[in-house]
Amino acid sequence: MDPADLERVIDRELRALPPPHAPRALLPRVMAAVEERVQRPWYTRAWLQWPVGWQFASALALLSVVAAGSVLLPQLRDAIMALTFVANVRGDVAESAREVEVATTAVRVVWRTLLAPVVPWAFGLITLMCAACAVFGTALNHLVFGRAFR
Amino acid sequence: MTDVEQFEAFVRAHQDMVFATAVRLLGNPAEAEDVAQTVFLKAFEQFDTLRSSPAAAGWLRTVSRNTCLNHLSRYRSRWRLFSELGGADSEAEPSYESSLRAADSPGRDLERADDRERLEQALRHLPAHQRVPLVLFHFEEASYEEIARALRISLAKVKTDIHRGREALRKALVHGSR
Repeated sequence: MDPADLERVIDRELRALPPPHAPRALLPRVMAAVEERVQRPWYTRAWLQWPVGWQFASALALLSVVAAGSVLLPQLRDAIMALTFVANVRGDVAESAREVEVATTAVRVVWRTLLAPVVPWAFGLITLMCAACAVFGTALNHLVFGRAFR
Repeated sequence: MTDVEQFEAFVRAHQDMVFATAVRLLGNPAEAEDVAQTVFLKAFEQFDTLRSSPAAAGWLRTVSRNTCLNHLSRYRSRWRLFSELGGADSEAEPSYESSLRAADSPGRDLERADDRERLEQALRHLPAHQRVPLVLFHFEEASYEEIARALRISLAKVKTDIHRGREALRKALVHGSR
């Protein structure tokens, strides 16, 4: 059969078909689903199905959040930058303190192991040298300059 | 009358049309029932505007069609494959029109009822890649181009599938009327 004839015949036959009837179960099933949907709390439905008052309130709340965000965001950014700076300074100070502590410990160790045992001897040596200087000065005064100072 | 009662009347008025669109596109009454329920729940969400709109039937028809196409979309790659595999089925058959002319008798009304039932069943049992474009063309009055766009397939494939679908329906009718 020619495709155009086939199209015409099939079109005529298909259009002559009575529409299939919906099964009897469809209506109760749809209405049960609708009832279930109606019983659901308003906040579980799509936003467009909310009561008008709640739609208005939620839109207002959203706008407030956006406005507050746009106002607070620059301040928040500054605060974050300040906090970052303080944190960096604190980090530097802590680093310096750690270095000082290490140096102090090193000095203490050197003192205890190398210098502390020598200190009494050095003190004694210095005292003896001072005494020797005093004796030498007195002797020199008596023998060479004694008369001159009289 | 409450909203729910009004909506029940609305469903009662349009359920045959929605179900018919769905069952012809899907070829499966159980799936068509699911789709019809989905369509009416969408309608319930829009019922404030739909209840007084003269375009409600058109809205329901469009939503039914789109919901069915979405439902079928997961099988689209399979349609393409099977459509390509489908062989040439051009064996010589007597024309359906000639069989109609030949069978002109007093019992013809009953036979016509049988023919219609057979055609409806043949339509439902067509493979989806033939049934969907065929239904869109003959029942939804979509053009070949619109069908190609809706199904995201080539124009040539739409024409081939529709032609093969018509041939299959013709064979079903000819075999049944013998």
